[in-house]
Amino acid sequence: MNRHGFSYVVPQAFSSLRINGWMTFAAIATIAISLFLCLLFWLMVINIDANAEQLESNVEIIGYIADEIPQEQYNAIQSKIAALSGVSSLTYISREEGLQRIAPRFGTVEQLLDSMGGVNPLPNSFSVKAQSPEAVSGIAGQMAALEGISEVRYGESEVEKLFAFTSALRFAGIVIMALLAVAAVFLVAMTTRISVYARKQEIMVMKWVGATNWFIRCPFLLEGIVLGLVGSLLAVGAAFFVYYKASAYVACSLSFIVMLPASALWLTVSLIAVGVGVLMGAIGSIVSLARFLNV
Amino acid sequence: MLIQAVNVTKVYKNGLTALNDINLCIDSGEFVFLTGQSGAGKSTLIRLMFREDQPTSGKILIAGRSISRLSERETVALRRNSGVVFQDFRLLEKNSVFDNVAITLKATEVPKEQIKLRVPEVLEQVGLVGREKEPVINLSGGERQRVAVARAIANKPMILYADEPTGDLDPQTSMELMKLFVEINNQQTTVIMATHDREIVNHFNKRVVTLASGRIVSDRRGGFRL
Repeated sequence: MNRHGFSYVVPQAFSSLRINGWMTFAAIATIAISLFLCLLFWLMVINIDANAEQLESNVEIIGYIADEIPQEQYNAIQSKIAALSGVSSLTYISREEGLQRIAPRFGTVEQLLDSMGGVNPLPNSFSVKAQSPEAVSGIAGQMAALEGISEVRYGESEVEKLFAFTSALRFAGIVIMALLAVAAVFLVAMTTRISVYARKQEIMVMKWVGATNWFIRCPFLLEGIVLGLVGSLLAVGAAFFVYYKASAYVACSLSFIVMLPASALWLTVSLIAVGVGVLMGAIGSIVSLARFLNV
Repeated sequence: MLIQAVNVTKVYKNGLTALNDINLCIDSGEFVFLTGQSGAGKSTLIRLMFREDQPTSGKILIAGRSISRLSERETVALRRNSGVVFQDFRLLEKNSVFDNVAITLKATEVPKEQIKLRVPEVLEQVGLVGREKEPVINLSGGERQRVAVARAIANKPMILYADEPTGDLDPQTSMELMKLFVEINNQQTTVIMATHDREIVNHFNKRVVTLASGRIVSDRRGGFRL
């Protein structure tokens, strides 16, 4: 299509959007609402992931020393643990210190000891922190294999539950996002189809007189892209407004939750959201035009 | 040879045979009436010639090139060299006369400045000077058909197809319109017109191809044959 062609198709697209006012509004609203919900899900998943990672990186790996191991061998075990790759810090915790650490959950050390018949059942242990969350399970496995270590714990069940929860949430998010995207594409297709039917006679005439497929397709494609663009910009604006408000609330009232700053997210998230919106608009119009394209 | 139909048969999905082994040659610059009763196959033949439909078997050649299998680009080129006028005008009723004629030029991506010059030129040719801004819906049947002719010839096609262009017009208007087609033909545009109007065919001494039940039963100069 030459530049003269563009000078005809661009005004045509905007004129169609104006004429089909309510459908235009409905299509933009559907794209905006769908993308807004998708973005909220996405931002939630990003933040849950960040929290889970932080939680895991704070995980303490406790390696209990077998009772029969004499104190003299502790240094050798400590050196072997320190040599494991990914270990960030290593602390020896005596059975008395161990009792003191868990006692606050049950009252005082005395009360805890009384409840256990005056005997401290805890063995001596080493507390290890990993450099990265990914290293935790590896370090735990290697520690368990060391001679002199009777048992290793790192709260694996809690971490696994958290990751199972985020995976389920991510899956639900993807399904919901896909459904919303299909709904948005369908409505764009409907809007474009109304424009196509309104201009059916004109399209036929243009085909008879030798318009190219692109010349016929272009105004409708442009119409879909504009719907997608406007809808996605509204969605991005609304989603970041909500995110900003939620961040402020969380910072004040739920400070144990980490929320990534909006400034670190908005550019990538906005670009992807606008890209998806434009793509949805374009797909919607291509779908509705398919059978009109053969000259 | 500008147009050639070679053993063309058209059978519709409902089993109706509209054309049965048609062979026809039309030279550049000719004026050809396709006549015959309703259902004889005149309109089908015209639709096949400007590639709105495809023959079931046989082929149609335009300027020596079969139009059965054309790319989009070739189809576009074919259409840009052909004009079509229909019995029911097929105009954009709410649009102005100017817009209806300009659509041909816009669709072929002609610059706006050239459109502003070309449309009044064509309207003068069809006798509609000064009616540019008039919505088509306000025009009489004869005037509408003139707009349809103006639209068809705006990009100076080699071939002008007309499918019963006078079907809905009174005899006097029909005759005026026919004179316009003859004038267009005099400017070297090949005109192929389907009509069952005996008066018109008899009045103009042109080549007459008569169809009956999808076959050519007569092909001669002057006079209506059934």
